[in-house]
Amino acid sequence: MYRVKLRDFDGPLDLLLFLIQREELDIFDIPIARITDEYLTHVRRMEAVDLDGVADFLLLAAYLISIKVRMLLPKPAPEASDQETEDPRLALVERLLEYRRYKEAAERLATIQELRAALYTRGSASAPARAEPQEVLINASVYHLIRALRRVLTEAPEAPALVIRARDCTVEQQQQFVIKALTVGRDLEFSRLIRGRNRIFVITTFLAILELIQRGLVVLVSTAFDDDFVLALGASGG
Amino acid sequence: MDKSTQGRLEAAVEALIFASDVPVAASRIVAVIGEVMAEPAPDADAITQAVESLNARYDAQGHVLRIRHWAGGYRMTTTAEMAPLLEVFLRRERRRKLTLPLMETLAILCYRQPASRPDVSHVRGVDADYALRKLLDIGLVDVVGRSEAVGRPLLYGTTQRFLEEFGLPDLDALPNLRGIEELLSDPSFSQEKARLFMLQGLSGATEAEQP
Repeated sequence: MYRVKLRDFDGPLDLLLFLIQREELDIFDIPIARITDEYLTHVRRMEAVDLDGVADFLLLAAYLISIKVRMLLPKPAPEASDQETEDPRLALVERLLEYRRYKEAAERLATIQELRAALYTRGSASAPARAEPQEVLINASVYHLIRALRRVLTEAPEAPALVIRARDCTVEQQQQFVIKALTVGRDLEFSRLIRGRNRIFVITTFLAILELIQRGLVVLVSTAFDDDFVLALGASGG
Repeated sequence: MDKSTQGRLEAAVEALIFASDVPVAASRIVAVIGEVMAEPAPDADAITQAVESLNARYDAQGHVLRIRHWAGGYRMTTTAEMAPLLEVFLRRERRRKLTLPLMETLAILCYRQPASRPDVSHVRGVDADYALRKLLDIGLVDVVGRSEAVGRPLLYGTTQRFLEEFGLPDLDALPNLRGIEELLSDPSFSQEKARLFMLQGLSGATEAEQP
């Protein structure tokens, strides 16, 4: 079972941090319009492929846009309110820094775990490592997947080696089949009627027999066997 | 404590820690020794000393065993130098590292526990449902209670197994979460801007955030 992770980024904040670092932008003076555009470009590409996975990213997109809007609005006069003079980007930077702290902490934890893993305890041999569902990590971007999808969609399907057509039988057809078989063979076991046939055939035949019995065209001669019965043409069937 | 008493205590401590498959708390060692041995029961400090003395002896004599203080107890392990040998011997794949989302979620939980799913989700900006369930499965985190917040969400925290898995005696032994101030002094940030920024708004938050 594979869980396919379609995004390169570990979340919206991760993406945003990446964009800021890639562009060598100053985290304390983020050009919000530009970064919002870049962020949205990325999100749209993801959206085209994985609508579910993109939900987390859209929330931050909305937030970025709201900051952008607030920065475009004329600033209130200084005397109007002291509270409102705060840079609308402040909360965002705080979140980014906070996320970065934990990102770093995660890296250190990974190191600690690795050091610890080199120390073996008794019981390591007797207790098999718990079968933890393994995540298969494939180093592939969204584009790899799109390319793979395109190939699959454009390549002409190979001609199948063998075509098996479903021969569906109807209950009506099977009624005729049963009558015919009984006319020729007189008493017949159900098992012989259906020998070597597929499931659909068996089921429709069985339904056909029920129908015929109800109409008195066929009678059950014997139910001596637990798992079979013998059929004969009914009186009205002639 | 005379020499032979000390020797017997060390031997007892060594035997108990050797025989255990889980970290043994000092209090447990004290209790067992008190029950079995005729001498007055040692205190926890005496156990710590015995462990130190044993480790010193192992080291001096070139043994590959060491007693570690993990998850509130003592656990006997081989030294790190023996890892390549044991890895092959046990034919175990190198322990699979946690994936990045799991490690980040775990890190957040370490420092913020007890924390609810929304708390954790907020920091990463990603719903933590999958990661938390996975960590619960592996046994590194557990439900530790319910928050008083609206909806009384479940609170999660790390487990003893986490401490053992990461070789930590207790949560206080976690490396300090880098303070925002320290993060700001990172050369990758413009220092001038950082200082201005601190003056503007973050100073209050920094004090509250410092572990």
